[in-house]
Amino acid sequence: MDKDDVWHVGEDIAAAHLTGLGWQVVERNWRCQAGELDIIAVEPGTPAVLVFCEVKCRRSTAYGQPVEAITESKLAKLRQLALYWLQAQHRPIPSLRFDGIGVLLRGGSKPEIDHRRGIC
Amino acid sequence: MRQAMSLSVALVGVTGTIIEVEAAIGSGLPSTTMVGLPDTALKEARDRCRAAMSAVGAGWPSAPVTINLSPATLPKAGSHYDLSIAAAVAAARGACDASGLAGLALFGELGLDGKVRGVRGLLPALLTAVAKGLARAVVPAVQLREASLVSGLTVYGVTDLADLFDVLAGGPGAAMPAPVAVAVPLRTAPDLADVAGQQEAKWALEVAAAGRHHLYLHGPPGVGKTLLAERLPTLLPDLEDAEALEVSAIHSLCGVNLDSGLVRRPPYADPHHSASLASLVGGGARVAMPGAISRAHRGVLFLDEAPEFPPRVLEAMRVPLESGRVVLARSEATAVYPASFQLVLAANPCPCGLAGTPGAECRCAPMAVRRYATRVSGPIMDRIDIHQRLRPVRSSMLVNGVPAAESSAVVAARVFDARQRQRHRLAGLGWQTNAEVPGPVLRKELPAPQGTELLSKALARGQLSARGVDKVLRLAWTIADLSGAEVPQLEHLHTALAMRRGEDLERSGDG
Repeated sequence: MDKDDVWHVGEDIAAAHLTGLGWQVVERNWRCQAGELDIIAVEPGTPAVLVFCEVKCRRSTAYGQPVEAITESKLAKLRQLALYWLQAQHRPIPSLRFDGIGVLLRGGSKPEIDHRRGIC
Repeated sequence: MRQAMSLSVALVGVTGTIIEVEAAIGSGLPSTTMVGLPDTALKEARDRCRAAMSAVGAGWPSAPVTINLSPATLPKAGSHYDLSIAAAVAAARGACDASGLAGLALFGELGLDGKVRGVRGLLPALLTAVAKGLARAVVPAVQLREASLVSGLTVYGVTDLADLFDVLAGGPGAAMPAPVAVAVPLRTAPDLADVAGQQEAKWALEVAAAGRHHLYLHGPPGVGKTLLAERLPTLLPDLEDAEALEVSAIHSLCGVNLDSGLVRRPPYADPHHSASLASLVGGGARVAMPGAISRAHRGVLFLDEAPEFPPRVLEAMRVPLESGRVVLARSEATAVYPASFQLVLAANPCPCGLAGTPGAECRCAPMAVRRYATRVSGPIMDRIDIHQRLRPVRSSMLVNGVPAAESSAVVAARVFDARQRQRHRLAGLGWQTNAEVPGPVLRKELPAPQGTELLSKALARGQLSARGVDKVLRLAWTIADLSGAEVPQLEHLHTALAMRRGEDLERSGDG
């Protein structure tokens, strides 16, 4: 696996994890001029919650846990991108949340998923 | 939310407060926040603890960690909270048993490799822990000797974090490390016998030692002012247990190694005349640290070349000289340090040092002599009990040999007897030495000395201030104690008056 493929593999694993939880993935790699949102999904329930997911993938913990790479400035960016996405929608969104998903791909073993809810 | 709490002590001055160190692990992105008015050294504890925990394999929670030091309004300083922070975090995540932390005070700085290092102020911190009813404490193993000076506490030494977790699990802790052999310098201790001649000045030194009176030595350069002052501590008796604990607590705060036990000998401080105000009376931005006057608590503070000290620095000693303590108020906390020191000043009579010396010619202008003599202000001089003029020793005495001088031990024995007399007399009143007795007690509670009309006359003529009268009375008592009299006699009062007024008296010759 190449360095540049890691993020892609990580996002696939994260999306599969969310589908496994029974969530519905609405959008992946949504781009606008300000940047890109990794995964947008809906967590079922009453009410259903729209969740913006930031995915971080690492092959080791040499630089800390994957979720530790989500810094304050990235959270600010995430909020800004979410606003752009919401503007593009033509339906009301009653409830939303931001989650962080860390994926650790250690060679050979099963990927470890670290799902943090409500990070900002 | 998982949380746990451990205990430590915050020191403001030498008085301590028990601090509850709470750690809470929440959910969300990893972060570590420290609240509760930490100073810079303490804020950095976060990074030290994190690295140390990782180094010993205990790990740091990958979640938001909040560390709170309560009471939150008290400013906290220093590196000794590291161990309690590490313990609280470990307990919060379930890595160790939280019940082991009950009633346990923790002190120690962590290295990045998990080693535990010594901290300042361990002795006063442990005394606080005992006073507040804590039964057990964890201390750096290198400071086990210092910790053993405190009774009523079960102490565990730790060399690294692994030891700490061992103690929390009920282990015995690390043993006291073997003492490091220190080469004893081959320097002989100063002794009064080293000083040739100067019988009168030695007598003044003896009186000063016996009653803890402040002393002012003046005379031309090279007559032995510094030699004499340095030998004053050799005449003083050992400190009492309570005093030794007070003095040791201050020295512990200053980072002095107390491995050899409590400080038993009266301390001696001789700051250079370039000393700053903060270094002399104590200072610091948030919580003030003790200065030279507190390091000399129950001992001797010697200011050589006193007129060279900045007036502002000298004047700052006025209040501590009277009250025996110094109150250092800062915006966040007010620290009180004991500062009951015996002041010894030494000065030349003029810039060239020769004014008034028989057979020598002073090269200073009269105004320069005058100005030099008034550099040490009236209020400070008024607080000095004994003014002693030193004269050059005649060369014939140095060459032909002086009558064998008494050694410090001989004089110290007389001083000890005089101190015993004072203690016996003052036991019911709550003081130990003559210099401490307040004026009203001196005049009303103690038997009246003979010939006090001598003092009334001096007061009426303006030769003595009201404070001066009390000072002379105290001196007279000390002289009586040294000569074994029950009550000061007229001759003792005469001697006291002469010592108090020093040169004035010699000049006018009307004593």
